[in-house]
Parts: sequence; C-alpha cells; structure tokens
Amino acid sequence: MKETSNPFLEKLLNDSSFRNWANNNNKNDIAFWNSWIENNPDKLDIVFTAKSIVVGISFNQKLVGKDHVNDKLNAVLNEIHLKNIRSLSKPKNKSNLKVYGIVAFLALALLVITFVFNDFSSNNVTYKTGFGETLNLKLSDGTLVVLNGNSEISYEKDSPRNVTLRGEAYFKVKPIYSTHAKFWVNTSDLKVEVHGTQFNVSSRKNKTDVLLDEGSIKLLLKNGENKQMKPGEFVSYSDQKITHEKINKALKYSSWRDGTYIFNNTPLVEVMKYVEDTYGFSSEFKDSKIKELIISGGIPNENLNICLSAIQKSSGIDITVEDDKLIISLTNNH
Amino acid sequence: MNISPEKSTWFLFVQGDLNVFSAIFRGYYPILHNYGLKISENTSITEDCLQDFFLYLYENRENLGEVNNVKSYLFVSFRRAMFKKLKKERIFTDFEEDFEFSKNFEFSPEEIAIQKEFTSLQKQTLVFILNDLSVREKEVVYLKYYSNLKTNDISDVMGISYQSVLNTLQKAFIKLRATTEKELIEAILKN
Repeated sequence: MKETSNPFLEKLLNDSSFRNWANNNNKNDIAFWNSWIENNPDKLDIVFTAKSIVVGISFNQKLVGKDHVNDKLNAVLNEIHLKNIRSLSKPKNKSNLKVYGIVAFLALALLVITFVFNDFSSNNVTYKTGFGETLNLKLSDGTLVVLNGNSEISYEKDSPRNVTLRGEAYFKVKPIYSTHAKFWVNTSDLKVEVHGTQFNVSSRKNKTDVLLDEGSIKLLLKNGENKQMKPGEFVSYSDQKITHEKINKALKYSSWRDGTYIFNNTPLVEVMKYVEDTYGFSSEFKDSKIKELIISGGIPNENLNICLSAIQKSSGIDITVEDDKLIISLTNNH
Repeated sequence: MNISPEKSTWFLFVQGDLNVFSAIFRGYYPILHNYGLKISENTSITEDCLQDFFLYLYENRENLGEVNNVKSYLFVSFRRAMFKKLKKERIFTDFEEDFEFSKNFEFSPEEIAIQKEFTSLQKQTLVFILNDLSVREKEVVYLKYYSNLKTNDISDVMGISYQSVLNTLQKAFIKLRATTEKELIEAILKN
C-alpha cells in the first residue's frame, strides 16, 4: 500500500499550541488559531480533521472486575508454582534420589500421624509430636511448618491459614500474592498475624516467644495491644509482661529445626527449660547457684541422652534421671 | 544513566519477582482482556489466550529482549498471540475468510462517553458511524482513544508505519466528520 505523507497534518498534531486550541485550553492559542483559520480558508478541512484527531472520542472502558482478574492471576500463579515443582523434582543425580527417599518417608510419617489424629467426623486437623520428636508439615495452603517435640498444631479443614499452636513450631508461611490473604497463629497468650514470612513461635507454660526471621508480622496480644515486629526481633509475652528486643544474630532460637539448640551465654536454668519442654521432664537443681551457670554452644536435641551429655560436658555438671525428673548437681570432682 | 520506573519494573519481573509479575498482571489484564474481546468477540478464546500469554511471558522472561515500554510491548505480543490462536481455531471452524474479521472492533453505545464534540449526535449515531469504519480504522481508533496508546506505539502494535497510522486516523475522522461536519463547524464557529 502506498502511503501518502501529510506533513502539514503531522505538524498540526505535534504543535502544542494547536492542541491547546483544539482542546479550547489557552486564550492566546485560541485567538491565534482562530485568526489563522480566517486567513487560511483553504486549510479549513485539514485543520478540522486534525482537531477531531486531537479531541478524539472518549470511551467508557468496559473492563472485567477485580475478582475476575484475581481468579485468573491465581490460576496462572498456581501453574507457575506447579511447573517449578515439576522442574525441581526431576531427578538429576543420586543425591536427588536420596532426597526423594526422605520426602517419601516424611510423607508416610505424615499420613500415619494424620490418620491417628485426624478425626474424620470432625472438621479439625491436628498434628501432635511426642517428646523429642520433630515433624515437618506442609499445610494445604503450601505453608511449611516444623513442629518441635511435645507440641500440637490444629486448624479447621476449611481455614488452614488460621492455626492454633501449643508448644513450639517454626513457620514458613506461603504468601498468596493475589489476595494478600493473612495467616494467623493463635497461642494462649497472643495471636500472630502474617502475610508471608518465616518465624518461630514457642508457647509453653503461659508464655509465648516469637522470633521473626524474615518479612514482617503483627502480634495481637491478649491484653488488646498490637505489636509490629521486624526481622531479627524477638518478643516474649506472658500475662501483661512483654519484652521486645533485637536479638544477637549468633543466637538462633529456631535452630532446633536442624536438630540442635544453639545457646549463647544462656543460663543453665533457661537451657533446662528447653529440655523440660521438649522431653517432658521437670528438673531439680541441687544447688541454686548452678542455675546461673552460663552455657554457650550447640546442644543436640534429637535424643535425650546425647542432649544431656552435651549439657554436662559444656557446663561441668551432673544430670541424673529419676523417673520424670532430672536431678542437676555439681560434679563431685569439680 | 536514568532508569525509568518502567525499566526497573521490567527488570524485577525478569528476575522472577512474582509480586511484580502479579502487579503487571493486575494492571494490564483488564485492558488486554478488552482488546482480546474486540479482536475475537469470543470470551473463552480471549481468556485462554491471556492465560497462556502471561504464563509464556513468565517462563520466557529472560529471553524476551529489551522492553522499553511495557504497555506497548504487551499489546504487541498479545495481539500476535491472539491472531495465532484465532488461526489455530479457524482450522476447526468453517468461517469464511472474508467474514472472519469483518465484525471485529464493534463498539457498543454504552462504551461511548458524553462527547464534547458530538453533543448534538446521539450515541447511537456515533456508534453506527464508528462501526461502519474499516477494521483497520476501527483498531487505530480503539488503540488511540480506548486504550490510550501513543501514535508511535500504535504503529508498533499494528506493525504499520507511523505515517500509516496518521493516515488511517485522518481517513477515519474525515468519514466521521462527513456525517457531522455541519453541526461541528456551527458549534465551533460559535466559540
């Protein structure tokens, strides 16, 4: 198709004073172009064509609604997510196959536990761990949870983003970008409100500790107050008492996930509390001075005997087990 | 060097940031949806195509080449995707070639806002005149005034020269004016 160029039309369209005249905008421009038209009647046609191009036609856009767009966005995000999983799970070498085995084992363990604790007639899903046991969970919304020993997490089947926790767990909440759906963890003391982030919650003996690794969360305390947390912050709350501090990077409260408690200048009495909570013992100090002994370093938490001998070695104390009691005393040759 | 917000948005998208991807999706899905409907007059083809299109964008984000203007880039590539899809669909239907696109870019009276220039005209009349334009003229009018694309973006989207866009606009408005000229000039001369 042959194109006939029309430089005059183009000139008019690119002339801001002409556009002002067309849009009835600037008194000087209006006066100028009105008199110009009077003096150039032969250009009348092209001037008015240019004017109608500038003014144009205004349309009411008929667009699809937000809900529709969000539905479609979710569908695409799910597809992306599925493809990512598929490409990740393609076995490339032996070590991947090993991972497979672990995943299969966890899935099996999960199945058994769900079977035991999931009462089919009720709408509640509950996962429970025994003393010294940890459990990796994936909730139906994609959130990953590592449940520490002697802990319990539950939620209603149709609201997997509103869970109740007793004990300790580490959460890696899956963000839902399209709706910004929140995720809640309820403990006896407070409620943690999240969009998508990684954090640790420990709720033992009327006290809840929250450590935030990534993102941002809001705590809705039982006394009605709200508290915003930033990454690296640690909040401890019980009965109106609250401490809010930036924690030492080296101190990893949530390190129990990897099978080790890491303590950094922690008094023995605190360390023993962890052991009590995880293994369900109570401890008795023969000498109250021992309580203040300082412990630093990693303590394995997967097996009680290893755990106890590690504590004994690093602090120079004796721990003996009597029924469900741990008796702590100074080593004789100390 | 100045980096425009457009460029940094696109950069983050190419990095795989799903938040940015979602923002682009939310921002452009509605107007692309409308564009697809105008091209095909078919909701399921349009929505299937959009779904595949955005998925394709995400998966091939690293190989899309340089993108300076997100909006016109999306219009260009979505238009291409729509035509490809329609070609495929045609294998299964027995549309006649000529008939196929003749009904495209139909405007409805509800889509016309109150006009400064065409006050004396009924919306119905304006729609009638608009729908009587050639498909190409309608698409240019649509992209310019409905989707608010710039003239050189329209030339990218439709794969025609800048001059050709101007000529098409000119032709379209000469046709429109032919019907409305009298009233128009009277109205303007009163100003």
